[in-house]
Amino acid sequence: MEMSELQDKIFAFCEAAKGKKKLKEKDIINGINAESGLDKDEIKKALREMINVGRLMYSYGGGASSVEIPSEEYLREKGLIK
Amino acid sequence: MKKYDTPLIDELEKGPWPSFVTEMKKSAKKNEMANDAVGHLEKCFKTKVGYWKHGGIVGVLGYGGGVIGRYSELGDEFPGVAHFHTVRINQPSGFFYTSAALREICDIWDKYGSGLTNVHGSTGDLVLLGTKTEALEAIFAEYSSRGWDLGGSGSALRTPSCCVGPGRCEWTNYDTLDLSYALTQEFQDEIHRPTFAYKFKIKMSGCACDCVASIARADMSIIGTWKGNIEVNQDEVKNYAKNGMDINAEIVGMCPTQCMSYDGKELRINNAECSRCMHCITRMTKALRPTGERGATICIGSKAPIVVGSLLSWVIVPFIKVEPPYTEVKDLVRKIWEWWDENAKPRERIGEVIEMKGMRSFLEGIGQAPIPQQIKEPRKDPFMFYTEDDMAAFKAKEAEEKKTGKYKF
Amino acid sequence: MALPQRKTDIGPPHYKQFLPPVIQKNYGKWKYHEVINPGLMVHVAESGDKIWTVRVASPRILATDTIREHCDVADKYCGGFFRYTTRNNVEFLVSDEKQVEPLRKDLAARGFKMGGIGAGITNVVHTQGWVHCHSACTDASGLVKSMMDELMEYFESKRLPNKVRLAVACCVNMCGAVHCSDIAVVAVHTKVPTIAHENFKNMCELPTVIGSCPTRAISPDPANKSVKINAEKCMYCGNCFTVCPPISIKDPERDGVAIVVGGKINSLRTSPKFSKLVIPYISNEPPRWPKVVAAIKHIVEVYAKNARKHERIGEWIERIGWERFFSMTGIDFTFQCIDDFTFMRDTMRTSSTFKW
Ligand code: HEM
Ligand code: HEM
Ligand code: HEM
Ligand code: HEM
Ligand code: SF4
Ligand code: SF4
Ligand code: SF4
Ligand code: SF4
Repeated sequence: MEMSELQDKIFAFCEAAKGKKKLKEKDIINGINAESGLDKDEIKKALREMINVGRLMYSYGGGASSVEIPSEEYLREKGLIK
Repeated sequence: MKKYDTPLIDELEKGPWPSFVTEMKKSAKKNEMANDAVGHLEKCFKTKVGYWKHGGIVGVLGYGGGVIGRYSELGDEFPGVAHFHTVRINQPSGFFYTSAALREICDIWDKYGSGLTNVHGSTGDLVLLGTKTEALEAIFAEYSSRGWDLGGSGSALRTPSCCVGPGRCEWTNYDTLDLSYALTQEFQDEIHRPTFAYKFKIKMSGCACDCVASIARADMSIIGTWKGNIEVNQDEVKNYAKNGMDINAEIVGMCPTQCMSYDGKELRINNAECSRCMHCITRMTKALRPTGERGATICIGSKAPIVVGSLLSWVIVPFIKVEPPYTEVKDLVRKIWEWWDENAKPRERIGEVIEMKGMRSFLEGIGQAPIPQQIKEPRKDPFMFYTEDDMAAFKAKEAEEKKTGKYKF
Repeated sequence: MALPQRKTDIGPPHYKQFLPPVIQKNYGKWKYHEVINPGLMVHVAESGDKIWTVRVASPRILATDTIREHCDVADKYCGGFFRYTTRNNVEFLVSDEKQVEPLRKDLAARGFKMGGIGAGITNVVHTQGWVHCHSACTDASGLVKSMMDELMEYFESKRLPNKVRLAVACCVNMCGAVHCSDIAVVAVHTKVPTIAHENFKNMCELPTVIGSCPTRAISPDPANKSVKINAEKCMYCGNCFTVCPPISIKDPERDGVAIVVGGKINSLRTSPKFSKLVIPYISNEPPRWPKVVAAIKHIVEVYAKNARKHERIGEWIERIGWERFFSMTGIDFTFQCIDDFTFMRDTMRTSSTFKW
């Protein structure tokens, strides 16, 4: 699978969980792996790339860290949108 | 700058012990944020409650930790502390610095933050107290371009820390400074990108004195020890006696294993029975020193009381070699995380998971055999599990005994 | 203004560049050390080289200007090399004996306090308090300052049977291992939390909140789309407040502190020990907490008078018995001192042998 296609898949996975379940990195990797059978290291790499450019972000709450879709406010602060 | 009247905390500028209020005011003179922090604190002292909110999600791009969001409920009254985030800077091993390095840290901090610090936070990081969200990326760029990285926070490996060890202590059994550095470098990803169920702390002490309190506040405590004899310098023993030490009362009588004797001339140690507690060595450092093989004991699980009571770390690996490149230690860390990852619910420290799943599951998970050095005493109840494999092993042993005619218990 | 290019995953700088030459040369080859006075010790290497350490108190919260002053002093006497300790003291590392006395004079003139080495009282491990934490039921730095002002002689000069390690935690999370100190102050709540039901749904996850309670006091409250708390089971740990901001537990008139004693970290003579509760409640009295300070001083003094040399507080109490500790100190024994949480079965007495 193309990297961008995989990343879209990951994004969709996070979007589906939004407001329902706080996803840990592991949940995403295992979830995508179960859906697509792709190699876990590859999924992790794709996920990390998305976090590095602010398409996803690490969040914190419930005493534990999770991965989420960033808010507009966050993106603005990081200069990623105007 | 607004001038705050602070009669209550001014009381804490009196008296001989160095005053944190004086420190805060020192920064407040040139910094608006610190100035508001002073006013804010006075208000807490007056009303006897805190006004910090549960933090917020702030950080630098790509990292999941190192910055702790902090906002005040009283942002309108004290705008300088409306945002007052903490930045954790990973300290160098053993907290050694040069003036040049610290000046650089201070200059950057004065540019972007309140000028207030904790040197150090309890985790070990150099803590910078009080900055705004929009300054975070700049702070990170300034520090990291000069060789300083952020520490850990959240569900991640927290910044490892260690005692002064070989830097200035004759008692260390391994190179704590180097191991701390090596593990910090090896596990950068685990520090900056939180993927664990909860926090994980590693602390390293060179001997049983445990100067970093690893046994009480690290999920993994690495405590130096040795396998060998305590070498006695009888001339120095005589000097201690001459200088007024009551060797029978203070040393022999306080040895927990009663493995020492002193006849007024020579101090003898039955080394086979010594439990290496360090009492005698710390009291007579010129006369006694360990010899032989050096390494560490690895203990797992300590934590503070939340949620179901405090734990001290349990002995898991009684002896491990600690030598560069530390492959054995690193492999063990990875195995521990793997088992924890498989078994933990969110917010469960490893000690709690071990209690839930059982020590056996953990020991098997990381490939450790049971040995008596791990326990204070065996179980007191008869409620135990027997696996099919256990039974097969008991039966095989008995079959063997029948053949040889000799019991093996 | 252009920012420098950031780097990630570089970790801290290598420690070696921060070690003074004499340490680099004698790294791992130290032979012994001597405590010359509570503010000064010398380490001697196999090679005969020596390094002197002058230890100075710090309030842990430092202004950058104070750190710069540490730098100035280090530049003048230590070739720029110094370090901090795990208990937040500053240590100036002197390679040249001739610099020791001038350094000490200069430090004294600048108002720095030297001490903390050996069998006395050193800096207090503590947490953030009102200065910086959302969970705080008291101020840690204020308590520390008040305690140490009163115990200063044990830092600078007066000796005790062994070290007395003090700690302050500003809530029961006890960040920083106060649970194994000779004497520690732990701030406590004493009232069942209240819940702003209207915010619950938006800000909290039901299973997380229910799961956060160690005594299972929390159950769903479907009518309010929230939770309810069983007051008979709640012991005010605040964990539910931590996981769910609409739950509120702070109460200025009821929040206070408890005192625990007899813990230790090292394995010398006896195994590490938890600290045990002796005084369950003292009101919060900022800015100086006089009763807390008096209680700590009293315990230190009774220990100083009665313990044998080298005995830590916990070891002394185990030798004389807790019943004797209470009678010697005159501290009232209360229900709170009997564990009814996780450790009851291990902490009740199971023999008829005790002292009157
Ligand atoms: C369900 C909600 C929450 C839970 C369960 C929770 C739980 C916790 C726990 C267990 C810790 C200590 C763990 C650690 O140090 O990593 C903690 C610390 C903290 N909490 Fe909360 N919290 C919650 C909500 C919040 C919220 C909403 C914020 C900010 C908006 C916040 C800000 C903080 C901060 C800044 C810390 C310090 C983190 C650190 O020391 O690394 N918390 N929280
Ligand atoms: C629900 C539990 C907990 C919560 C909500 C919590 C919250 C916090 C917060 C908010 C801070 C940061 C204060 C600041 O700098 O602004 C903090 C710091 C810290 N926490 Fe916790 N904590 C929890 C449990 C623990 C536990 C169980 C431990 C240790 C076993 C611990 C160890 C620490 C340490 C070492 C620090 C740094 C403290 C310092 O440098 O003063 N925390 N915690
Ligand atoms: C669920 C757990 C246990 C059950 C159901 C149980 C049951 C029994 C029974 C039925 C007897 C025989 C009474 C008789 O007819 O003489 C007995 C005796 C005894 N049990 Fe257990 N027992 C249990 C646990 C224990 C434990 C944990 C211990 C000790 C640590 C223990 C120590 C004894 C002793 C000392 C005797 C008397 C033996 C004698 O007089 O020779 N039992 N128990
Ligand atoms: C289902 C559980 C149990 C039953 C039905 C049971 C029954 C009995 C009976 C019938 C006796 C003999 C009394 C006599 O001499 O007339 C006895 C003795 C004894 N049982 Fe139990 N028992 C049970 C559990 C236990 C447990 C759990 C323990 C210890 C933890 C225990 C400890 C003892 C001891 C020490 C004696 C001997 C007393 C003596 O020698 O005088 N029993 N038990
Ligand atoms: S833990 Fe042991 S080796 Fe490390 S500094 Fe303390 S006494 Fe020295
Ligand atoms: S180290 Fe401890 S156990 Fe060993 S001889 Fe010395 S006092 Fe005894
Ligand atoms: S002990 Fe409690 S109040 Fe104090 S810093 Fe830790 S979490 Fe905050
Ligand atoms: S304060 Fe603690 S015991 Fe009380 S309801 Fe909340 S979590 Fe449970």
